[in-house]
Amino acid sequence: MLRNKRIRSTTLNKLEGLLFLSPWLIGFFVFMAFPLAFSLYMSFHQIRITPAGLNVQYRGLSYYKTILFEHGSILYNDLIPFLRQAMFMIPIIVIFALLVAIMLNYKFPGRTLFRTIFFLPVIFSTGEVIQTFYDQGEGSLGFLEQYDLNSYLSVVLPPAWSSTISGVLDSFILILWYSGVQILICLAGRQTIPASVYEAARIDGASPWESFWKITLPAMVPFIFLNTIYTVVDLFTFPWNPIMERVTTSDYGLSSALVWIYFGIILLFLLIVFFGFHRFTRAYQLTK
Amino acid sequence: MEKNMNRTRTGSLLQSSWQNPLLKTKHVLFGLEVDKGLLFKLFLYVLLIDTAFIYLNPIFTMVTTMIKNAEDLTNPSVIWIPNEIYLGVLQEAWDMLNYSKGFLISALMSTTVALLQTLSCAVAGYAFARLKIPFKNFWFFCLLLTFIVPPQITILPNIIAANHFGIMQTAIPIILPALFGHGLKGALFVIIYRQFFLTQPKELEEAAKIDGAHIFKVFFKVMFPLARPAMVVVFLFSFVWTWNDYYLPSMYLYNSEVQPLSQGISAISQQLEAEAELSGPSVFQDSIKMATGFLMILPLLILYMFTQRKFVEGVERTGLVE
Repeated sequence: MLRNKRIRSTTLNKLEGLLFLSPWLIGFFVFMAFPLAFSLYMSFHQIRITPAGLNVQYRGLSYYKTILFEHGSILYNDLIPFLRQAMFMIPIIVIFALLVAIMLNYKFPGRTLFRTIFFLPVIFSTGEVIQTFYDQGEGSLGFLEQYDLNSYLSVVLPPAWSSTISGVLDSFILILWYSGVQILICLAGRQTIPASVYEAARIDGASPWESFWKITLPAMVPFIFLNTIYTVVDLFTFPWNPIMERVTTSDYGLSSALVWIYFGIILLFLLIVFFGFHRFTRAYQLTK
Repeated sequence: MEKNMNRTRTGSLLQSSWQNPLLKTKHVLFGLEVDKGLLFKLFLYVLLIDTAFIYLNPIFTMVTTMIKNAEDLTNPSVIWIPNEIYLGVLQEAWDMLNYSKGFLISALMSTTVALLQTLSCAVAGYAFARLKIPFKNFWFFCLLLTFIVPPQITILPNIIAANHFGIMQTAIPIILPALFGHGLKGALFVIIYRQFFLTQPKELEEAAKIDGAHIFKVFFKVMFPLARPAMVVVFLFSFVWTWNDYYLPSMYLYNSEVQPLSQGISAISQQLEAEAELSGPSVFQDSIKMATGFLMILPLLILYMFTQRKFVEGVERTGLVE
């Protein structure tokens, strides 16, 4: 009798849980799972929208072949410069967020004001406004122009890389603007390190420099990891990036195939980040 | 106990520094810890002010360019402060944007989406944090998947579906997913709520349950009101991101009467380019773009000004991380 009741209470609990999650689950199936499956289906088919309904023709892997091998310009022309830039942008954003968060964590008068300033770009990080700034060349670091860095770079590096780097430098401030959320994450992470640890280190004779490398940085690794993931996702799903702009309603099949290839690349990037951090933390634990 | 120890320690330190004036100056200048010294604080201020200036430089330029008249714009000696404040550009941008209408549409859409997401994501986040659900790990994996899937993958099927149901060129396809805890960055909000509810003590709910409250009452009377810091963060993020979002409106509201501000701004830059091709570039072309950008983010700036304190506190208390 008692057992019976207990069983009923666990099923009741599960029902309650399902009831709470059900709006999200319905949403997941309607707005995520089904469109995802349908988009995959579309990437193998030619789709025409006619007044009578959808006209579907099986195309097999032909769209993927077209994009990857035959007409590579659709993908590679935009993708490769973008990936090159991303390789610079991701570390810049993550490191900047870490440094600003560490600075903002110190106690000093006016801290709130500075925090407000550094969170501000969360508001601006919109394609349109940033694009306007970019067109005006507002993103460049003015003082670098005096040194004529771009022409120097084009002499030293192969043209593809020098154009990447000067592109990154030209929009440097705007890249920093992507770091609003990352600063928040880092700041919250920095506050998980108790002040007593630093005090103990100081009593043991550690210099501030040492305590940064031995305490702050190791404790921040999980948050740096989180930030890297967030940055990758944010950068790659930003509607303004060149591949995303190619997804249009003009050719459903081709666009779907393109976006799936692109999604594969995002996953690959995330996996690299994941394994990189995994190995790093393992190595760190071993040395400890 | 700890307090006492602290007191004796500072006491002895004071004594020793009193005996050694050199040590005292050193302590004042460099501090006992890295963040306590005067020199360090000075250095920190210099660094922060510099970074903040670089960071905000484009905004300063935007505001100053916007209020320059034709003379000041062409005068190279006028960099920051114009000789007189000229509001004509702002007026023109206001008219071109059809500001009051665009503002109303943007505000209505963003408020609706933000309110819906604040509620629906909280329900889902609570379920993920506390309730027993069959295959919970699998659903959580789905949540993470939702987070990393670019909106462009699902946009084409959604457009076909919207066409099918005849809700194209309305705001419904943008608002509807928010009702179910999805929509723009919905997954992130669910995760934020989940993290918040995980940090709350379990005893609260247990006490409420022992008092005979059923699960709905526990959530809506106890847990949801507790989640105010998370609510502030989610509402603001949701509002700002929906307000700024250009992609979804450009897909669903193409050629529609309903045009939020984020759409107007791109229409204007196209219009300006077309005009420039016809009659040559105007002096005010950049200024108008700057002014439209400013008008678009102005409401957000005002909102942020009023809420930033709560927002910063909220972020620190949500346990956004971990």
